[in-house]
Amino acid sequence: MTLPELTLPQMLRRNAQTMPSRLALLQKDFGIWQPVTWAEYDRRARHFGLGLLALGLSERGHVGILSENRVEWVVAQLGAGMVGGVAIGVYPTSPANEVAYVLGHSEAEIVVCEDQEQTDKVLERLGELPRLKRIVVVDPKGLRHYESPLIVSFAELLSLGAERDAAAPDAIETRLAAQTLSDLALIVYTSGSTGKPKGAMLSFRNMRAQAAGVIERLGVGAQTTNLSYLPLCHVAEQMLTTMAPIYAGSCVSFGESVRTVQEDLREVAPSLFLGVPRIWEKLHAAIHIKMMEAGGWRRRLFEAGLAACAPFACKPPHERSLRERALFGFYYLTVFRALQNFVGLRKAQVALTGAAPIPPRIVAFFRTIGVPLVEVYGLTETSGMATGQRRDTMRPGAVGEAVAGATAKLGPDGELLVRGEMVFEGYFRHPEASGAVLRDGWLHTGDVAVLEGGQVRIVDRLKDIMITAGGKNLSPSEIENTVKGSAFIKECIVVADGRRYPSALVQIDAETVGKWAEENRIPFTHFRSLAEHPRIRELIEAEIGAANALLAPVAQLKRFHLLTKELDHDDDEVTATMKVRRANIASKYAAEIEALYRPERVPEPA
Amino acid sequence: MAAAALLDVNNVEVVYNRTVQVLRGLSLQVPQGQIVALLGSNGAGKSTLLKAVSNLLALEDGAVTAGSIRFEGRDVAADPPHGLVRRGLFHVMEGRRIFEDLTVEENLTAATFALAGRAGAAADFDMVYEYFPRLRERRRGLAGYLSGGEQQMLAIGRALVARPSLMLLDEPSLGLAPMLVEEIFAIIARINAEQKVSMLLVEQNAAVAFAVAHYGYILETGKVVIDGPVERLMRDQDVREFYLGLGGAGGERSYRDVKHYKRRKRWLS
Repeated sequence: MTLPELTLPQMLRRNAQTMPSRLALLQKDFGIWQPVTWAEYDRRARHFGLGLLALGLSERGHVGILSENRVEWVVAQLGAGMVGGVAIGVYPTSPANEVAYVLGHSEAEIVVCEDQEQTDKVLERLGELPRLKRIVVVDPKGLRHYESPLIVSFAELLSLGAERDAAAPDAIETRLAAQTLSDLALIVYTSGSTGKPKGAMLSFRNMRAQAAGVIERLGVGAQTTNLSYLPLCHVAEQMLTTMAPIYAGSCVSFGESVRTVQEDLREVAPSLFLGVPRIWEKLHAAIHIKMMEAGGWRRRLFEAGLAACAPFACKPPHERSLRERALFGFYYLTVFRALQNFVGLRKAQVALTGAAPIPPRIVAFFRTIGVPLVEVYGLTETSGMATGQRRDTMRPGAVGEAVAGATAKLGPDGELLVRGEMVFEGYFRHPEASGAVLRDGWLHTGDVAVLEGGQVRIVDRLKDIMITAGGKNLSPSEIENTVKGSAFIKECIVVADGRRYPSALVQIDAETVGKWAEENRIPFTHFRSLAEHPRIRELIEAEIGAANALLAPVAQLKRFHLLTKELDHDDDEVTATMKVRRANIASKYAAEIEALYRPERVPEPA
Repeated sequence: MAAAALLDVNNVEVVYNRTVQVLRGLSLQVPQGQIVALLGSNGAGKSTLLKAVSNLLALEDGAVTAGSIRFEGRDVAADPPHGLVRRGLFHVMEGRRIFEDLTVEENLTAATFALAGRAGAAADFDMVYEYFPRLRERRRGLAGYLSGGEQQMLAIGRALVARPSLMLLDEPSLGLAPMLVEEIFAIIARINAEQKVSMLLVEQNAAVAFAVAHYGYILETGKVVIDGPVERLMRDQDVREFYLGLGGAGGERSYRDVKHYKRRKRWLS
């Protein structure tokens, strides 16, 4: 199918004309799902855009958005788009210095802040933001005594826009008509796991191409529903909240807050669900804990079901034998249906995982219980998904083939190269970096991949491949993912570069390990006391031993250190998307890492 | 962790009405001779823990569903509440709970129940009056006519009569004027030092609790989030901000600066 040659705001306009009273968005507010139709979506975006002009947004001016996912986020994005502005999302979880960096580097003139907390971050760093003209606050609670002349409420801005709209109803039409697919739509800042975040510029053409790819590969249609809960400043959620739904005319739901995702998910029961590996690991751990609590015959039934259905987990339903169908049917009725309901994915026709490597065990688990989980691969620089599995060819560990409109091939050093309309326009104010990845008409992804039966399998980041002192090539993410397959291990950071053997820093999963400690009557109070307990060390040792058995001898972890605190964004150890900042960790835990290579202790685990 | 703590709570879970889980895997210890403070906001589960220790949960349809509580090495579930009192575990309940229609001295006499069957234990009202001279003045008066502070003194005095080895104090500062709170806490510290009574002290007023306690636990929604010697807790950023009401710089803050959002608690230890 070919999508209309329209930009995202033009497409929104068209939806408002062709299906004005159909549901476009749902926002849960104080427990009630408030509907927004396409006409209303369009009207609010229009008013917001005109309001931005009233506040003095310049031609192609940049608008920062610093908020959790909510209707106002997309209204601001589409509103800015309608008047030729460019939206820049900022992680609401980022500390003030990172917020200031992104807003300053992106030259934002107006910033939309969700509440007092976000507003405070911007006000604290005003000195670094000379171009900032106004701060638009969605929820002005607590701001009454603020004296900053920059602050204006979201509602005020909408009414400013409404006045303009009434005075000159054609203003928007003229602007929209002049818009082309080559116009810049969005700047997505990468999370910055290796250095300062870089701003990837996406044009309307990129977004349209991505929408086409998603619609083709995932079968998104007007009936699709999904919950928007991953940060909208990240390209993955943009893909499923703005790009695909606006072109496909499907409905997007916004939950109460990030803290209520599990409940919201159960209520929405979406037909399409995107999780990053961390979410899948969490859901896996949640089921694991529930089963530990259930105990007895219920637990045995669950384990029997997993064992019986695991062998054909990756077979699509129509290829399964009669016996396999009967087996699955039995366990579906007795166990799996309840588990699917528990995680809110019973209605999911397709569930995705992407944005980071995922332990194969986790994928296998969800496929076993009947969640159609497919692996996809993409980058900010490809506006989202570049390759993805189809539901009928779910090769474990692979990420499928290039989506419609994209071509993928391997470069000379095994690097994956991508070409197509979805490949971004370059990094904002960073031509050297743009030149480095956009060469000879191909996007150089920086990921080493291999082709297996026509499907791409990602090995690791090119720059992360480690070489031990013995000259062996090691892929840390392969080791890490094998280890993280354990429900007790939340994070594993492999150290091996230039060393005699690989070892790792390991962070336990406080919830599952805590539960285990309770069951085994090991007293503990908080994370540190748990991590330092010798019995916990034994438990993790056994888990790592099990993981080692799955790894080639040279890749096996010889030693590990248990972290006594959880890695945190505030401590500069992980990014807003919880990606590990290896360099920071290597320097911060240098002493602990050195201890792993000191000879006096007996190597472990045995 | 000392091997022989006077009170040893190991991974306790408490459920009310078979549905509402209040404590979720809570562990703590009270070493011999120490005052251990247990802090936390409303509903964190502090009073529930004390009731679990003194085996009073059944009265409120609560039950310990997992874990164990050992007092002097013996499971508290093995003894009825009055048996525990005789073994030397005295619970000074929240809200004082004195017998209002009896005189002060009759209240103290009632506590001698705890001494029954204990060899060589004689009621020593004079010791109580020494710690709380005001009670001596009011010994013939009805307890219901005492001021709030005096009633709290009586409640603690009643505990003293029972010569406990462990006293559970549930919010002794509740509803009292700041001056009285200071006075009572000074006496609590003296009792601990002179009578060698160990104490598990539940408080909302973190500042006064830290002034007397040796060790502290902070409880949030049924779990310990941080614990440590009081000197260390008092240096912790989160404890300072959320429990002692001090800003990052150490000074007190104006209500004008109070935000509608909370800084994320980290509970690093």
